[in-house]
Amino acid sequence: MTGVLRRTGIALALPVVLVAVWWFASAGSTDFYFPPLRTIVEVFPETWFGPRLVDDVLPSLGRLAVGYLAALVLGVGLGMLIGSNRALRALVEPLLEFLRAVPPPVLVPILVLIAGIGNTMKVLVIISGCLWPVLLNTVEGVRAVDEVLADTCRTYRIRGRLRWWHLVLRSASPQIVTGARQALSVGIILMVISEMFAASSGLGYTVIQFKDGFQIPQMWSGVILLGLLGVLLSVLFRLAEHRVLGWYHGSRAVAKER
Amino acid sequence: MLSVEELHKVYDGKRRRVEAIGDLTFEVAEGSFVCVVGPSGCGKTTLLRCIAGLLPPTSGEVTVDGTKVSGPPEGLAVVFQEYGRSLFPWLTVADNVDLPLRAAGTARDGRRTLVGEALDAVGLADAHQAYPWQLSGGMQQRVAIARAIAYQPRVLLMDEPFAAVDAQTRADLEDLIRDVWQRLGVTLLFVTHDIDEAVYLGERVIMLSASPTHVAEDLVIDLPADRDQLSTRGDARFTELRGRVYAQIQKAKQEGKTR
Amino acid sequence: MRKGAVLGVIGLLGFAVLLEVAPRIGLVPQRYAPPTSRILTTLAEQLGEPRFWLAVVDTIRTWLLGLAIAVALGVVLGVLIGTVPVLRAATASTIEFLRPIPSVALIPLVVVLWGSTITSTLALVVYASFWQVIVQVLYGVADIDPVAQDTARSYRLGRWHRVRYLVWPTALPYIATGVRLAATVALILTITGELVIGSPGLGQEIATARASGAVAAMYALIVVTGLFGVAANVLTRAAERRALHWHPSMRSEAVVA
Repeated sequence: MTGVLRRTGIALALPVVLVAVWWFASAGSTDFYFPPLRTIVEVFPETWFGPRLVDDVLPSLGRLAVGYLAALVLGVGLGMLIGSNRALRALVEPLLEFLRAVPPPVLVPILVLIAGIGNTMKVLVIISGCLWPVLLNTVEGVRAVDEVLADTCRTYRIRGRLRWWHLVLRSASPQIVTGARQALSVGIILMVISEMFAASSGLGYTVIQFKDGFQIPQMWSGVILLGLLGVLLSVLFRLAEHRVLGWYHGSRAVAKER
Repeated sequence: MLSVEELHKVYDGKRRRVEAIGDLTFEVAEGSFVCVVGPSGCGKTTLLRCIAGLLPPTSGEVTVDGTKVSGPPEGLAVVFQEYGRSLFPWLTVADNVDLPLRAAGTARDGRRTLVGEALDAVGLADAHQAYPWQLSGGMQQRVAIARAIAYQPRVLLMDEPFAAVDAQTRADLEDLIRDVWQRLGVTLLFVTHDIDEAVYLGERVIMLSASPTHVAEDLVIDLPADRDQLSTRGDARFTELRGRVYAQIQKAKQEGKTR
Repeated sequence: MRKGAVLGVIGLLGFAVLLEVAPRIGLVPQRYAPPTSRILTTLAEQLGEPRFWLAVVDTIRTWLLGLAIAVALGVVLGVLIGTVPVLRAATASTIEFLRPIPSVALIPLVVVLWGSTITSTLALVVYASFWQVIVQVLYGVADIDPVAQDTARSYRLGRWHRVRYLVWPTALPYIATGVRLAATVALILTITGELVIGSPGLGQEIATARASGAVAAMYALIVVTGLFGVAANVLTRAAERRALHWHPSMRSEAVVA
């Protein structure tokens, strides 16, 4: 019991200290751009838990979800196809390397041109950035399928859907999850950028409005909210990963002991 | 049941041309247990892969149950040496054994019975829900064997299956495989580098020469059908046969060196 | 191998041809998808403009400076935290919390502090790249062979010697990976900063081109940024290989990015 308490204590020590330092150091602040932490915390609920939650925050997250999932499906699907065909892979690889090297935010102006400033544009922006890590990592994962396992499938005549699912997909899943994790970071960035750059609603848009309107404590609260969302999504991702890759972590732990 | 005719396999690399198999011809009768031994690098694994339809030969023919082999044939199962890599790590032991049956379209009740019986036969009745990587090496190989049993093949190929396992476990697995063979009546081709194992297990031992590989000798093992680790290995006839095989392999190694 | 390279070139050319033909036959409106030839001619024009080159220099400077700061900070702090178990335990939760914070969340803050200057973008770049480096360094330090560590301790090697002969060689491949990942992230954030904040550089040129409706110029600049990204990737991989040619195994990326 003391072990758990001790570990929790150590984990919380530094964060608590940092927050406390921020709180007290900013307490008497009169600097317009650095309001006291207390003020920021005070405005937080009224800023974000009112109508803005439904009008801006949830739609932003919704667009992220749609874009991210679409990128996953597309990326994994195409990745499996490309990864399992050597000729196709050779054909497409340099092109993909170039396309993925284009910093995703750079495509925002083009997508604004094509799709305006509505939901479609924002979702497309997210897909355009999230697709590449998923696609390329899927190709990598599919390439590296174990030979002995592949031979086993051939011998026991495991073909078609069962083969795609068990040999290709699940075999490549650790690598695919790596890509999915990178894609999540990119997705969050793009969700915010697409709204900061040219938009009329959304989380990023709202924070920029605060900045432009000199509502500084609200702006800070927005920054903190974005940070918290990033952390929350990261935690959710890790939970999902544990379910999907439980076998992988288990087998690596065992291999390490040996 | 199984016939290999003038099998010839050459690997054509960028700079080297490796003749893995020169000219192999032999036959395996239905329901018999035949071991294949040879010096290292004599193409034992290549032979097995050709028979299993995983590798096309350069020339020559393999026939399984009257049909020429041009891809993995039906009713043939393989147990690989690398048990860790041939089992699916995200599936439980039971699901691993079950998968080929699912692929074959067997009904669920039938599958459950087969899986249960197969795992019983290899002594893993309580390991249904375990994952392969939670088991020891010997147990993982048993799972692979159980999978082969459940598949109810007519021909079973084994590629040095016990090479990566410790000596005591190997002894247990050897007895297990003989027991399985006798019960199922399957045709078993067993490739190994362990001479003692080959003589202990087989009804026949086929000895391969060094490259270019051909059959150096085909020896009938006239030991009693009922074998056990202690008495059979102490038997005078065992020692004699073993010596014969050993001498042949040594000769093959010498010829390989002088060439 | 040859065949693969040929296929790759065919793929690239095929894509370029597709983008040439599609707008011309009306498959996509020329308004926002100019044909490849127009993009290439605009690109050639840009190469003749001093303004373009100024922007390039600005971008490269921000990118490399940000990367250098991030790597220096990341390596020093990473080694320090990684080798002192107390620090490691105390900072673990903080690092795990700060790491996933999207760097773009800081955009309003840096603009408020430093306006549309290079410093704002630089802060963004350093923040985002730093995490890439420190995470890899921590993995590297954690990967030290315990037997080697015990050997070092039994020979009573001082802290400095241990870092030099034990920590550094083990961590080096991970540091290399971290630098490679950080280089990509740094480029993305540099361009993003220039685009959104408006600090001088290629990103700002793209924003300007958009504002004046010069679509072909936009595409041309985007191609340039893509080429930068590819160059960054290729160069860092090559540097990684050169620096680590002595290493027995080029370790694969730690499976967390």
